[in-house]
Amino acid sequence: MKRRILDLGALALVGGLFLQGPAKAEVGVTDTEILIGALGVLTGPLYHNGKTIYDGVESVYNEVNAAGGIHGRKIRYVREDDVCKPDQAVPAAKKLIHEHKVFMIHGGGCSNASLAAMPEIVQAKIPWVITASTAPQLTDPVNPMIFTTMLAGWMETEGQLQRAIDLGAKKIAIVKQKDAWADSRYKPLLDSMKARNITPVADEELSPDPTDATAVALKLKTSGADAVIGVLFPKAATVLMRDMYKIGYRPIVVGGSAISDLKAMDQSIGIAGSLDKFEALAPTKHPDDPSVAKWKDVVKKHYPSDTFMTWHLFGVASGEFMVAALKKAGKDLTRESLAKALSDLSVESAAYPGPMTCKPDNHQCYRSMAWFSLRGGEVKQVGVTHLK
Amino acid sequence: MLPFLLTSGLTTGALYAMVAIGLVLVYRSTGHINFSHGELFMLGGFFAYSLIMFAGLPYVVALFLAVILSFLLGVISDRLVYRPLIKAPGLTMVLATVGFSYLLKGIGRYFWGGKGEYLSIPAIVDPAPIFINDIPILPQQLIVLGAAVAFMVAFALFFSRTKAGKIMQATSENPTASYLVGIRVENVYTWTWGVGAAVAGAAAVLMTPLTLITPDIGATLLIKAFAATILGGLGSMTGAVVGGFAVGLIEQLASGYIDTSLQEIAAFLVIMVVLVFRPAGLFGVYGQRRA
Repeated sequence: MKRRILDLGALALVGGLFLQGPAKAEVGVTDTEILIGALGVLTGPLYHNGKTIYDGVESVYNEVNAAGGIHGRKIRYVREDDVCKPDQAVPAAKKLIHEHKVFMIHGGGCSNASLAAMPEIVQAKIPWVITASTAPQLTDPVNPMIFTTMLAGWMETEGQLQRAIDLGAKKIAIVKQKDAWADSRYKPLLDSMKARNITPVADEELSPDPTDATAVALKLKTSGADAVIGVLFPKAATVLMRDMYKIGYRPIVVGGSAISDLKAMDQSIGIAGSLDKFEALAPTKHPDDPSVAKWKDVVKKHYPSDTFMTWHLFGVASGEFMVAALKKAGKDLTRESLAKALSDLSVESAAYPGPMTCKPDNHQCYRSMAWFSLRGGEVKQVGVTHLK
Repeated sequence: MLPFLLTSGLTTGALYAMVAIGLVLVYRSTGHINFSHGELFMLGGFFAYSLIMFAGLPYVVALFLAVILSFLLGVISDRLVYRPLIKAPGLTMVLATVGFSYLLKGIGRYFWGGKGEYLSIPAIVDPAPIFINDIPILPQQLIVLGAAVAFMVAFALFFSRTKAGKIMQATSENPTASYLVGIRVENVYTWTWGVGAAVAGAAAVLMTPLTLITPDIGATLLIKAFAATILGGLGSMTGAVVGGFAVGLIEQLASGYIDTSLQEIAAFLVIMVVLVFRPAGLFGVYGQRRA
């Protein structure tokens, strides 16, 4: 009788194992491949930003793949275009999730598009590591599956304000371009100023794609501002600096991370000294910094027509962060195991001047910035700010 | 502030006028609005960029070569895209120009994208501002201003005084009648698309040091130039230039005296009002294409 019970128990155990079947395969993961989706701007006026970021990410993945992959799996990176527009971001996210069936999303550049895509991604419960979108709502409040390796917009403007004060500014003005990217920074900037009892002496708007900024420059000059905080993309900043110089107005100008190529600005304006009092922050080191030379070569190898720039470094840093997370998540890779690995991870990248550190209660994983200015025709790092 | 804004408005308006002239040129000859004109401008700028920055050619040589390349691009566009549609409805031609604009944009991105956030070429003259009665002006802006007026006069004379100009207008007014009197309408159209593209190329070479250039700049300039042609009167060369100046001035004055956030929309608000009272625009004649 006892023997019979043992036999039945063994039978039930074996049967149970058979009924359970093999371990559940994770969507987008096979024994040889991890399928990761990129959501970002690939067409339209800002396509270049998206292309270069994802070229940076994919350069990291290509190198990892060439070295054998992660736990034996190669990474395949598929890109979908959100056109930097909310109405295009939703179908792009759906396509990645339901058509490509990606394991996770690694991308997101335009904040307005990323915010629009967010409900789809949250509903699908797939990990999302954001490469460049800066809207703080993406990671605050914390979602267990969403992380970012980019500064939040408010951090940039907080840093810009701090820099202007550190440089001795007493009367501070604001110029913002007219779009959602700038809007996401503008209110936090006003909040930061209010918290320090500072009222902007002028608060002006400029098109992201202007041909002339004389009127804005005149208004700034009339305000008597000794420092201008620019919430601008490079083209708008270039036209503004040119026209401020044209009317003989030369305040301190503190730009944000979007302005990544001071030499190009200088060459475009073509007037010696026009950028003497201009500084721009970057979350990354400078593309000519010797410590990123390796990645410059790697990106050149994979994308020969690209000119290596800060946008690539966003991608490189985020790519290195993802690789570390995938390694930490282990061979039995699931979305949950990756999220767990991401939520307690600290990674140093050659591309960034500070670490990317995620905590379970804080998925805003990056908080450092460097300041750059032209000195003798060369771009020099003139300071670093670490935000708490 | 007023003298600064007026000067800036005129120089900015000259940019719009230069682009608008090309639009009007094609419209007067073919009866079609070329929605790929902005992209022809863009490629003209990139031609010049490559000739100056990579081939190391002097600005003036690059200008002429960029204009020639743009002309050839216009001729090719006619032979590949527009001539097969010569008897198609007008809407088909509109869609063809829109489609062609996307093709050109793709070409721009493929060959010149990924090289920087924007590209530029050096100004033909020292870029440092000069002062006229204490008003600062960029020398390149004066060149564009002069070029816009010169182009306007040249094309106005071409259409009114030359046989070729009259033939082009005749084909626009009545292609069938033009055939009957022996005009090779296809050839006229080929020249028109070519010259239109060449004008875009010339404008691009002169303007790129000021506007800077990206593969997507075409749409931005096209909409301002289109507004200028509508305001001036569709089909009027004088109207295109005056419309361009008007758009530039309205933008600057609204931005300077009301609010900088109005810079991009002020001109369109004024245009809406103008068209309510004068549907053919300032220099247009209602019911006719030409002033």
